Amino acid sequence: MSDNMKRRDFLKGAATGVGIGLLGAMGLYSYSPMRKSNFTQAERKMNDIGVCKSVKVTNISETSWFENGILMGDIKGAGGLLVNQYDYNWPPFGNGKGLGKGSYEEGIANIKHLLPNNLEEAWDIIETNSVHPENAGGYAALVEIEEMNGNKHKYLLDVGWSYKWCDECFKREGIDKMLENKEIEALFFSHEHFDHFWGLPVALKYDPEITIYIPEGFYPEGLQYIKDCGHKGKLITVKTGLNKIIPGMASYVFAIPIICRVYGEQSLYFNVKDKGLVSVTGCCHQGIIRFAETAYSEIKYEKDKFYGIYGGLHISPFDDWDPKYDDLVISLGNYGFERIGCNHCTGILCAKKFIAAGYPVIEGTARFRSKDKAYLGNGDIITFG
Amino acid sequence: MERFGEGYLEERKLVKRWSGPIPALASLGITLAVFYITWWIFQDPRGVMRMYTPYVGYMYCRWWLIIMIWMVYIFNFWPFKRKWLETAHPLIKGSIMTAVSVGILVLLIKVFFEGLLGNFGLAYFNPNQLEKLPGITSFFAIEYSALAILMFAAIASWLSPAWVVACEEAPWQDLKQPAKGFSILMLTFFLSMVVYFVTMHPHMGILYHPWQYFTSIAPPYWEQFADTVSGNFHVSWIMCCTVVVWLVETIWERYPFNLIKNDWARRSASFFGIIAIALAMHFFLYFAQELTWGEAIRGTRRAFAPDWRWLHVGEMAIFFLVPALFVSFYCGNWPKKYSMPVNVLVRTAITLVAAIALYIAYYKTSHLFLGTQKGFSHPQQFPMIPMIWLVNIWLVHHWFMDNWPAWKMVPKTAEEIEEDHETHRAAIADVRWTPRLGAGLGFGIAMGVIFYFITIWALPSVYAAINIIPGK
Repeated sequence: MSDNMKRRDFLKGAATGVGIGLLGAMGLYSYSPMRKSNFTQAERKMNDIGVCKSVKVTNISETSWFENGILMGDIKGAGGLLVNQYDYNWPPFGNGKGLGKGSYEEGIANIKHLLPNNLEEAWDIIETNSVHPENAGGYAALVEIEEMNGNKHKYLLDVGWSYKWCDECFKREGIDKMLENKEIEALFFSHEHFDHFWGLPVALKYDPEITIYIPEGFYPEGLQYIKDCGHKGKLITVKTGLNKIIPGMASYVFAIPIICRVYGEQSLYFNVKDKGLVSVTGCCHQGIIRFAETAYSEIKYEKDKFYGIYGGLHISPFDDWDPKYDDLVISLGNYGFERIGCNHCTGILCAKKFIAAGYPVIEGTARFRSKDKAYLGNGDIITFG
Repeated sequence: MERFGEGYLEERKLVKRWSGPIPALASLGITLAVFYITWWIFQDPRGVMRMYTPYVGYMYCRWWLIIMIWMVYIFNFWPFKRKWLETAHPLIKGSIMTAVSVGILVLLIKVFFEGLLGNFGLAYFNPNQLEKLPGITSFFAIEYSALAILMFAAIASWLSPAWVVACEEAPWQDLKQPAKGFSILMLTFFLSMVVYFVTMHPHMGILYHPWQYFTSIAPPYWEQFADTVSGNFHVSWIMCCTVVVWLVETIWERYPFNLIKNDWARRSASFFGIIAIALAMHFFLYFAQELTWGEAIRGTRRAFAPDWRWLHVGEMAIFFLVPALFVSFYCGNWPKKYSMPVNVLVRTAITLVAAIALYIAYYKTSHLFLGTQKGFSHPQQFPMIPMIWLVNIWLVHHWFMDNWPAWKMVPKTAEEIEEDHETHRAAIADVRWTPRLGAGLGFGIAMGVIFYFITIWALPSVYAAINIIPGK
């Protein structure tokens, strides 16, 4: 055999062997317990966000829409959950062209001159031009935090969707007066979704100078809407990651893609003296367990304990279901939360599964169009600490 | 005796109209243009029909792939006659055969799955039946039934070609069409149904409340091993099987299984070897995510959820299929000048590099033109849909249209066909056991293992340096 033949044979064997060795190692090692030696245990950062005495959350509205069937019919008709939210032709950006044919520019042109002070007239126009304006509700919450020295702070988390519904809810809970009196220090937007953000003129009607915090990732239409609504205060775009606000309170921005072409979510952490960590969320698209795990790796909190949750947990917002949601229901018990106030996009079925699993769900009163006591409903209050 | 398309793909000679890489680049340009136009018409959430809901679009896309595999690989173009295949203009052939494939597609979904199975067997195949359940909206009824139907397709898209590629159509390889086609179709459909019942049916059984203990295993048996109750665990390895079948058939030329002389040993080794390679891929691609993003945490959503990680394994696998098919369809399975194992290794390396580049490019840019969402883990982000849609267009172009217009189809002469067979036999005979081959094999295995451990060592820092989606 010539040297050339020998070299060719060696190469043939080597080429085959590389594949066998590589695939063999992939198959035998990649999912074996041995692989865990490759994982580095990230050191806990233990960021000190301070501590507060207590947190109180008033549910202004959790009913973002009133009928799942109508909302999902719109989504289906317009082309699904990936369609840009400004294109559905939902209120307030109706242009009269029908489902799926809307646009921010055409919609806002009809009402811009009426924002934020003449919302009743604006809503009349919106009702004429939009798809299913009667189904629009909104998500908004008042968060009150008491510092250790007794100082109290009030913040709004989101402002809902329908001008009409949100104004009613603001008046019902006295938010209108608080805004007028400048008692509310800032407005935090959890994300850009219609049901959390589009009701902005209602808040600005009462306090156009309020400071607004948005998570990075807002699209150009959303940024323009803040201007078009007549906002005159400070606008702070919060970067991805942890952002301390006041002692005992921080927000955290997650860079995540969300349905209806939205990007990024901001949620709130509170460190309550002698109790532990409290999570307050708009929709929690990042997932409540991811939120808890992030707190574990990033923040120092009392008793190293997860204490409470309030808000939408975005599990089955349309009362849909998927086995992966059962993974959450099964796993949540491992985190030891002592008070769970859930609503909005959690899904009533999910809340009931939590209750059936024996989790400490704080049930509500099912008033003001909230549908089930498994939810901490509209007008209900939850306190932590 | 009428000849249909038996051996048509093998016995056609595709002659380049232009020299060099121009035909491949021109074909890429044309097919990408067709892809984008049809994507806009059928799938794009901003387009005309907006089928990317995502499951509806995914279901049609996936089943269309299988129908074309059935028509070409299982039925050998029957009932289209050989003369017509050789003489009809590619545009006419492409239009007619595409229309037939779409007709079968609609019949299968609307009549067989939704009409027959959904109305008389399993309600979850029919959205109208699901809508009768309390609390289920029309949108999710359609999505759930599309999910069930497409899961069946995922399994069939592995088993249907596997019976031809691995099992060499046995035991019906000598039958005429359509008897051979129907025999293979019945068997692979039956096997798909069995695999469906033990992989995806338990997923569907816990999709509703309360869990359907009476009709499915709940929680599913894979829960502890896969760290999730979701059927995405199975989607992952089945998707890998689909990809590996085509790697074996195209850039690997069925190597190394074609070295086995005994027919049944070769067929069994091929069939189970494909599964074994797919499982290796399945576990490695999951591990790769753990290395780059951190360990999955059960109960989380999105990128940290085990169920999504398994799904993403399938999504990553599809990125390997696209360059492999391009090399095979448009680059003449380059290179061919070395020994078969070296050719296979070079093609695999090219595919690997191209797949990684495509993955990075897709996640960096696709949201800018496909109407999809930025990010890896959006629940409606399914790279499998655009990738399979592109593959479908390539199948139409390569199988139904003979790569027209950049290539011209000329039937091979009997001598040319015999010469091809002889070349193939010689290429296989060229790989025979010698002490030097054994030494090379041992050296290669060691190199493969070393390469694996270097890869897993380097992956976290390489991934961090690339930073595909800033902010993640």
